[in-house]
Amino acid sequence: MASNKKVLLKVIILGDSSVGKTSLMNQYVNRKFSNQYKATIGADFLTKEVTIDDRTVTMQIWDTAGQERFQSLGVAFYRGADCCVLVFDVTAPNTFKSLDSWRDEFLIQAAPREPDNFPFVLLGNKVDLEPRAISAKRAQQWCQAKNNMPYFETSAKEGLNVEQAFLAIAKNALAQQNQSVDLYNEFPDQIKLTNTQKSNGGGDSCAC
Amino acid sequence: MDELPSEVDLLIIGTGFIESIISAAASRIGKSVLHLDPNDYYGNQWGSFNLQALLDYNPDPSEPCDFRNKSFSLKNFHYEWLMEDQKEDLLKNSRKFNIDLTPKLHYCRGDFVQLLITSNIARYSEFRSVTRILTWLNGQLELVPCSRSDVFASQKVSVVEKRVLMKLLTSLDDILDSENTHNFKKFLESRKLSDNLVTYVMAMAGATEHTSLGEGVKSVKRFLDSLGRFGKTPYLFSMYGSGEIAQAFCRLSAVFGGIYALNQQNLISLDSEDNRITSLTTTKQQIRAQNYVTSLEQCSEKFLRPVKINNYISRAILITNKSILPSEQEQLSFLIYPEGTERIINVFELGSLTGTCPKNYYLVHLTSKQVTTPQEDFKGALGNLFSGSDQPQIIFSCYFSIPETSDLDFENVPENLFLCPGPDNDLDYNSSIQKAREIFEKMYPDLEFLPRAPDPEEIIIGD
Ligand SMILES: Nc1nc2c(ncn2[C@@H]2O[C@H](COP(=O)(O)OP(=O)(O)O)[C@@H](O)[C@H]2O)c(=O)[nH]1
Ligand SMILES: [Mg+2]
Repeated sequence: MASNKKVLLKVIILGDSSVGKTSLMNQYVNRKFSNQYKATIGADFLTKEVTIDDRTVTMQIWDTAGQERFQSLGVAFYRGADCCVLVFDVTAPNTFKSLDSWRDEFLIQAAPREPDNFPFVLLGNKVDLEPRAISAKRAQQWCQAKNNMPYFETSAKEGLNVEQAFLAIAKNALAQQNQSVDLYNEFPDQIKLTNTQKSNGGGDSCAC
Repeated sequence: MDELPSEVDLLIIGTGFIESIISAAASRIGKSVLHLDPNDYYGNQWGSFNLQALLDYNPDPSEPCDFRNKSFSLKNFHYEWLMEDQKEDLLKNSRKFNIDLTPKLHYCRGDFVQLLITSNIARYSEFRSVTRILTWLNGQLELVPCSRSDVFASQKVSVVEKRVLMKLLTSLDDILDSENTHNFKKFLESRKLSDNLVTYVMAMAGATEHTSLGEGVKSVKRFLDSLGRFGKTPYLFSMYGSGEIAQAFCRLSAVFGGIYALNQQNLISLDSEDNRITSLTTTKQQIRAQNYVTSLEQCSEKFLRPVKINNYISRAILITNKSILPSEQEQLSFLIYPEGTERIINVFELGSLTGTCPKNYYLVHLTSKQVTTPQEDFKGALGNLFSGSDQPQIIFSCYFSIPETSDLDFENVPENLFLCPGPDNDLDYNSSIQKAREIFEKMYPDLEFLPRAPDPEEIIIGD
């Protein structure tokens, strides 16, 4: 794969409502944290450029926009993900128990070509809070059983480990994309609608 | 598990195309929206299904309830495996299929594309150009020339005809005023166009022998106006199927605070008093809203009188093993197939590049006004396209009828209840967008319909 090619990595963040998904991406991209998010305007997706082994890649991180709250994420949300970040709250045991079903849901909906090798990363968030319900050891055990999924303990509130976690996420996403792009580009020449009247996709435009 | 909110500005039931646009538009201007669906999938009759989910589709669940109106469900739903030996392989690839109940095309300069751009919803979806337009002439498939260069390259069109056609196409604006014949086809013939050319222009207009001059000219203009923007034809198709579109609008609604809950099996009733809906009762709670929007499919009989459905849309979905007109590269074809004198069958042939079917297969959608039954309505076309030894074979077929509800009127509907019809027989979404806009404007007369949403990086949370 040509290394000067512009790379866009799509990352989606899954996990129970309130575990801190939106906070994590907001902390990572905007270096901001809020204790209460206004219900009127949510997060959409955020982009950030990262450099990995001298390559600059654009990471596009997609928030669930709250649609996970009543299990209503549509299949469209999962399309084309290069990495899936699972998040639980280390003080809320139920959010840890849900991880299996979030992972399964991702594999069913996104239907990646090689489900066994698809990169997931697990984040145990809110480590600034007490009391802790899920120990690091327990989380690591879960990860080991899942093809050695990388695990990070984070605090979106204090910005702890957030940068490191997302860097690992980007690396995993890139490795995944390198693999699949080398095999074949599944859907070349898609059209994104833009405000410019120009046509997309090179020689596809019409000369009339 | 969380509880749903007990009070919102707008409560919407059903996630079809029209309801989803209204949801996005209301959330966008700051209204609190609760958007529910008894189904566990997005889109109602506008949704897409993987192969297994299509096989499991149950248009008429045996238990009727206040939120499933049988009058408006799909009729004549029936599927069949014609090549049993392929079944296993296809079901293994079930998730590679995204099969639309209601496939649509988008004019490159039509209202839909415009709305996606001006509202900034375009960022949630990708498209593919229709790569060729075909029609059926003298017992065979013909490519419809789409551009000046196509016309000039065509060997089926003589030099003289080329000139006549260009003149005709460039003078459409004047025609309406100057011609007094009222039938589009007769008009074309009176212009001394050959049979070939008449067929091409009729295909551009999607016209039958009964199409009026005004309609025909308008449609050809729409076709020509959308050329040259994206790709070789005036049409786009949504990646992964048309069902993605409702989800894109729902996402925008959610980003602006809309609350989503699918699979709501516990709805009991919409309660009314003095010709107003007062609340939604579920098994767990009561939810109050100022306005209520519901799909007809999910609206109780008690608010819908009289129900008299006059027209149905015939649909067929086929999985085939090769293209109706094989070529080196995978094509996304739109075939305009005239059937008899008053009906057009719209045929979309989708390959794996559309994200709606696996490699080495084609997904074929047929849509037409219903005359008898879907099977009968498509018999002639299928015989012509899929029966010869060198023609593609049909592996799987599915037929159903969609009730046409876009022009129904009901009496004494509660004043704060707004009803969204199901799919229409149009090629595109224009009339449905119009319907969504009308409902929005009735609820919020002075507010802007889907103004440009800020880019994600303009949304700073936590300030
Ligand atoms: N103490 C603490 N609170 C957090 C942390 N991350 C998120 N929160 C809070 O947890 C709540 C839910 O966070 P949010 O990002 O909306 O969760 P989401 O539903 O997963 O997107 C908010 O009140 C946040 O302020 C964290 O690391 N530490
Ligand atoms: Mg969130």
